[in-house]
Amino acid sequence: MKRPAIVSVVAWGLLLALSGTAQATGDRAAGKQKNAMCIGCHGIEGYRTSYPSVYHVPRLGGQHAEYMVKALEAYKSGARNHPSMKGIAATLSTQDMEDLAAYYATSGGK
Amino acid sequence: MNKLIVAAASGALLLISSHGMAADIEAGKKKAAEVCAACHGPDGNSPAPAFPKLAGQHADYLAKSLNEYKSGVRKDPIMAGMAAPLSKEDIENLSAYFATQSGLKTKY
Repeated sequence: MKRPAIVSVVAWGLLLALSGTAQATGDRAAGKQKNAMCIGCHGIEGYRTSYPSVYHVPRLGGQHAEYMVKALEAYKSGARNHPSMKGIAATLSTQDMEDLAAYYATSGGK
Repeated sequence: MNKLIVAAASGALLLISSHGMAADIEAGKKKAAEVCAACHGPDGNSPAPAFPKLAGQHADYLAKSLNEYKSGVRKDPIMAGMAAPLSKEDIENLSAYFATQSGLKTKY
C-alpha cells in the first residue's frame, strides 16, 4: 500500500521539529571559531589560575553542553563569581554560549 | 657528605609532599556512591545534561567547588545541601576519587 505523499511530508516535518527541540542549538563549528578567549587557560593541560586563588582550571572537553551554558550564564549574571570568567562571559551572547558549549561537549577532534 | 644531605633533604621532601596529598581514593569512592552517584553517576560521568561530569576533572578544582558550595560562595540549592555535611577529608577524598576516573579531557 502506498502512503499518500502528504503523510510522509507531515511525518518528516514532525520528526525534524522534534529532533530540533531535543538537540542543543549550539553550532560546534561556530564554537570552534569563537574559542580564542578560552584556549589561553582551558586549552593548556595542567594550566593553573594565579588569581584570586591557585588551582587547575577545569577541564571542559566532554562536559555536558547544557551545564556549560548554565555556568556561563551564571558568570554573566554574577550568580557565579570569578573575575576572569565574569569578564569573558559578559561579552558572550546566548548563541555564543551555546556554540562554545557544543564545541567543548565533544572531548576530542573538532 | 653532601650527597647524604641531599638524600636526607629529598627524603624529607617526599615525606612532606606525600603527607600533603594523603587523600584516600577508596574512601572517596565509597562516599561518592552514597552522596554523589544519584546525579553525577557512580564514576562521575553524569548521565544527566544539567549535572556536570566530574570524572577526570582536576582534584583541586573539584575541592574548590565543594568548599565554595559549603561556604556559600558558590550558590546552588542542591549542592549547598550536599556539600554542607562533608568534612575536609570527605572533600579531599571525593575530589581525588573523581579526578582519577576516566572522563573529561583538556580540549584546545
